[in-house]
Amino acid sequence: MKTLRLITVGGVIAYRALFNWTRPSVFIGTLLIGPLFQLLFFAYLGRQLRVADDRFYIVGNAVLAATLACVFGGTLAVGNERRFGTLGHVLLSPRSRTVVFLGRALPYAGNGLLIAAFTLSVSALLLGLRIPVGALPGLLLAMATGSLACSFFGLTLGALGLRFRDVWVISNVAVALLMLLTGVNVPSSGLPGWMVTIGNYLPITHAAEAARRFAAGDSFAAAAPEVGREALVGLAYAVLAAALLKIFELESRRSASLETL
Amino acid sequence: MLLLGTLLHAKQISRSPFELAIAMIVPIVQATLAVYLFRSGAEQHRLLEAAVGAGVMGVWSSVLFGSGGAIQNQRWQGTLEMIMLAPRRPVLVILPITVATGVTGAYSLLATLAWGRLLYGIRLDFVHPAAFVVAAVVCVLALGMFGLLLASTFVLLRNANALANTLEYPIWLVSGMLVPITVLPAWTAPIAAVLPTTWGARALREATTGGPVWPSVGICLAISLVCLILGGFALTYVERRARATATLALA
Repeated sequence: MKTLRLITVGGVIAYRALFNWTRPSVFIGTLLIGPLFQLLFFAYLGRQLRVADDRFYIVGNAVLAATLACVFGGTLAVGNERRFGTLGHVLLSPRSRTVVFLGRALPYAGNGLLIAAFTLSVSALLLGLRIPVGALPGLLLAMATGSLACSFFGLTLGALGLRFRDVWVISNVAVALLMLLTGVNVPSSGLPGWMVTIGNYLPITHAAEAARRFAAGDSFAAAAPEVGREALVGLAYAVLAAALLKIFELESRRSASLETL
Repeated sequence: MLLLGTLLHAKQISRSPFELAIAMIVPIVQATLAVYLFRSGAEQHRLLEAAVGAGVMGVWSSVLFGSGGAIQNQRWQGTLEMIMLAPRRPVLVILPITVATGVTGAYSLLATLAWGRLLYGIRLDFVHPAAFVVAAVVCVLALGMFGLLLASTFVLLRNANALANTLEYPIWLVSGMLVPITVLPAWTAPIAAVLPTTWGARALREATTGGPVWPSVGICLAISLVCLILGGFALTYVERRARATATLALA
């Protein structure tokens, strides 16, 4: 029970702290309008090149919209503690740091889900995509799983921030690579095999596929395996993030490099 | 002074691994995406156009984030007061910074072309090679001047970075860097017509695939000069206001 409280309350407090100095205009501009225009860009490009239909781009990019909040959020969860000099205080906590940091990922996943749902709703209205009402629960599940997996992926990158100096390069490049490798904008049949293989081990890939199936009216049973794969990818990144945080924490203590930027 | 200032700031930006990574790696990823998209759409013959388009997108990103935050960055570094104390017009001090962001953005164009040639065997068969070089230089300068207008207006906004984050994709889209303007809704046409990015991208595309390059270069330059004049006025206003209210160093 205490662990659950630490995960939820700790995560929410850290998230609220972020919004003490971040304003709604930043949230709206960066996390709502930015991804919407990203979707429109690829939807119009896809239309012009006749690569796939609008549903492919709208649903795929809506799921991808969560990456900005989740990847950077996960990175911020660790990176900013170091940048603002509070990492030492967190690591001095007598509670499990793994639980503390994994809890940080949850609000970002919720945030990612909100952004994905907003992007899907507005773009469907703007571009005239009809989504069956029965598909909505499945779509929400796919987007929530994708957002969670993406947050743990971000946390993994954030953990690298304990070891590497400039984690922002890694997270910026990672966000760009997700756009390419997850098959959201180029159908996997159009990508080389090795890119598809890498994409299978990245967040969003399976969530986007599941969401497309739900949006196409497929049954829950047809899309469930993809949701399951996405959940597995998320779990793998959560374990990897926890392991890296532990290893790098020990390494930082040993070499006294905790606050080194 | 402008040339030396531009060189100094371009060197300074080039010392940052973050700036270099963003200017080179991200556009290469975008160029790769564009190449596979064009291939999937059976548009193999347009791969050079895709590489150039992705490069111009990189130039715009560099100018948008670099110029948009040019004054704010000086403020954070604690050098804004010193450069504003220089016995020169503010425009002459800030313009080299914004042009430098365009120059470092040009790394994107070079990187996407080299990437396309080496990895995908895209032949660099420009229809007008000389015009392409001229158009690229004009595009960089023009975006630098447009950057001055961004820098001077963004400084008035408390959350300018939010606006910068918002403007990346819309300008890519409306300027026709990869998506032809003709497939967009008609109401976007007037917006596209007044943006230097539209004419810069068009000039580079026409130099690549054929078409009247020089009118586009001329219009791009003319709009950018208007941006320079407006940016100069805005900068003078901002500087005087900041001096009067003693808020130059305050965010």
